[in-house]
Amino acid sequence: MKFSVLCVRGHGARLGQLSSIGHQGCKILDTPMCMLYTRGGSAPYLGLDMLQRMENIPPVAHITLSHLSDHYEAVQAFKEGVAKFTALKDHLVFISLHDPAVEVYSGFNEKSGIAIWGKGGKTKIDVDLFMKIQEALLPDWYQALSDGDTSKDTSKKRAGKSVQRTLTFLDQIIERHSQSERLKNSALFGVIEGGYSEKDREHSAKETSARPVSGFIIEGFHNMGPKSEQFCISDVSGVIQKTLDYLPEDKPRLMHGVWPPDQVLEAVELGIDIFDSSYPCSDLCMYFDDLAPISPHCTCYTCHKKFTRAYINHLLNTSEILAGVLLMIHNFHHYFQFFRSIHSALEENKLEELKRVIQQQKSSAISKDALLS
Amino acid sequence: MAASRAHALTFKIIAECKTTKARVGKINLPHYHVDTPVFMPVGTQGTLKGLAPEQLVELDCKIMLGNTYHLGHRPGPELLEKAGGLHKFMNWDRCLLTDSGGFQMVSLLKLAEIKEEGVKFQSPHDGSEMMLTPEKSIEIQNSIGADIMMQLDDVVHSSTTGTRVEEAMHRTIRWIDRCLAANKHPEKQCLFPIVQGGLDPDLRKRCAEELIKRDVDGYAIGGLSGGEEKSHFWRMVTLSTDILPKDKPRYLMGVGFALDLVVCVALGCDMFDCVFPTRTARFGTALIPGGQINLKNKMFAQDFRPIDENCNCSTCKDYTRAYLHTIVTIEPVASSLVTVHNVAYQLNLMTSIQKSIVDNRFPEFIQNFFEEMYPDGDFPQWAVEALKSVNVRLSE
Ligand SMILES: [Zn+2]
Ligand SMILES: [Zn+2]
Repeated sequence: MKFSVLCVRGHGARLGQLSSIGHQGCKILDTPMCMLYTRGGSAPYLGLDMLQRMENIPPVAHITLSHLSDHYEAVQAFKEGVAKFTALKDHLVFISLHDPAVEVYSGFNEKSGIAIWGKGGKTKIDVDLFMKIQEALLPDWYQALSDGDTSKDTSKKRAGKSVQRTLTFLDQIIERHSQSERLKNSALFGVIEGGYSEKDREHSAKETSARPVSGFIIEGFHNMGPKSEQFCISDVSGVIQKTLDYLPEDKPRLMHGVWPPDQVLEAVELGIDIFDSSYPCSDLCMYFDDLAPISPHCTCYTCHKKFTRAYINHLLNTSEILAGVLLMIHNFHHYFQFFRSIHSALEENKLEELKRVIQQQKSSAISKDALLS
Repeated sequence: MAASRAHALTFKIIAECKTTKARVGKINLPHYHVDTPVFMPVGTQGTLKGLAPEQLVELDCKIMLGNTYHLGHRPGPELLEKAGGLHKFMNWDRCLLTDSGGFQMVSLLKLAEIKEEGVKFQSPHDGSEMMLTPEKSIEIQNSIGADIMMQLDDVVHSSTTGTRVEEAMHRTIRWIDRCLAANKHPEKQCLFPIVQGGLDPDLRKRCAEELIKRDVDGYAIGGLSGGEEKSHFWRMVTLSTDILPKDKPRYLMGVGFALDLVVCVALGCDMFDCVFPTRTARFGTALIPGGQINLKNKMFAQDFRPIDENCNCSTCKDYTRAYLHTIVTIEPVASSLVTVHNVAYQLNLMTSIQKSIVDNRFPEFIQNFFEEMYPDGDFPQWAVEALKSVNVRLSE
């Protein structure tokens, strides 16, 4: 994987390009970008048939180990990797450990491995199993095994331990990765840990960037899930800034979480390049609160085909799946559009203006009740 | 009036089977045309289990059902009328058929009581006493605006016997006249009477003979999907189609399992509906030639074939059984994916039946169908008898 920064705006917002990625070397991706959020290897509510009716779908499908670890033996027997297995063969695949929209239970990670929570409950994943699964899934890029079980209240001792464990995992993974024929086109992202401790973050950043990784994932500020929507990046901008200072410019940086638009913009300003798109799925109704409502001007499939609010409201009231399908399309559309506007804002050096628009939308957001009445 | 009446429905027979009572026809309706024999998927709440209307068009579905009981409750007739009818509300510009609401009321609400005036029931919301009269049913169905409406009928369970069945039969005849009189849009919404009479051949015969005196565009055969004995079931069906006029479509209500479809087409039925193919998708059950499979079963964990190799639906084109195995009953998208296939299966079956009738090889089609469904030759006795009654002798 190659990454180049085309320009830097403000303090550290980067306009970049990813190329030579994984198994589809010809694809070029513009950053900042979001990935296509999936559950169990499918965009929520959207089969390929419906997904293909959308425009500007992110080329990278974000699949999580927690959804597929129970089934890796099937993918192994399938031989052709998880992209084809999940019918997303035209997508690049990034494999993370956890679903950003689901809270990760605290206190289950060990020196020998970490806990992944799937539908079948807890699975303990050590480096051995982790590499076996990656070889089966054949990702274009993947997150190294990491102990990100730290948050605001974590002790400094625990933060240090998470850094150490994660580095130990990384060394073992690098060794295994370099010997793997199947993973020779897969890129590995190292994980920066250290909770809220600047010193541990610094250590983690320095050590991880000294190793042969293609990019970085910065985690360990929260335990994912709906609560992470309340996570305020400005509370930790100092720590993140410090961390980024020790990372090389020419490698991409990814942060997981449920990202409302204003938080995305702050993270972009700090120098984060890659994001999830679990936010538009986190609460299908609530999403209307802060981005444009279903509107006659929207060009998404749902609005273009003139499905009315009244109809969608009826589908919600009767718990019909089509409500999820139609809202998911609209919400995804807006979120993907939003990343396109970040892009043009950076190109035209108008990030401040975009920030103002997003702030305005946030404060004038119509309430859920208003939509449903 | 009969001579000058505007017809919302016209029916043309394209081909007739030379052996059985099966026929291929074309129904023209205000919104679209329908090729028969047809299976109509059920979209109870104004949506078909996670499918966008466009996907149904791509499957070449031409008509679907809505349930008056549910739609009358939510979103309600006022909103539907404001939206310009259910077609516009749900974005479906092909044909719709609605039931009367009576069946659901009697089966869903324990306290429903049938009187001459209508079905008395307690509102599920505030407990107040309400009445679904024939006029009210048609009023709601007029607001929904389906191309084909059903009369309110006096529903009795198929296991009921005695005077109650006879009472229901007579009441059903009285109610069709009230329904016909109440229809505000006969030029764009036609109304089918329903042949009742339980499992009593004499009552059914009398009911059908009385109903065919009415000026209507088609007929339904009701009260035969309640788990009655199959040997009674097919006899009631064939008795009804013997009496009903040839030049009008016959709708066998609530019947839609593949085996029943094949047999009842041979007995002369043209239209069918059933919730099973769409409802069962949620639990991971997929229909295939020869039966059904449950994708949740471990045996599919490493089965990298599509649900049906010969199916041309988008699910079979893109997805393997092994992948579906990992998401059925877990991810809502699995429900939509399996529904697409199940609807495709039902529609493909009907298209193959139509073709075989046109090509005058329906009896061979039936033989092949049975061999695929029952490879050990263990054909259900009732089906063998039913088919024998229309000159098809299955060889085992
Ligand atoms: Zn839209
Ligand atoms: Zn199929």
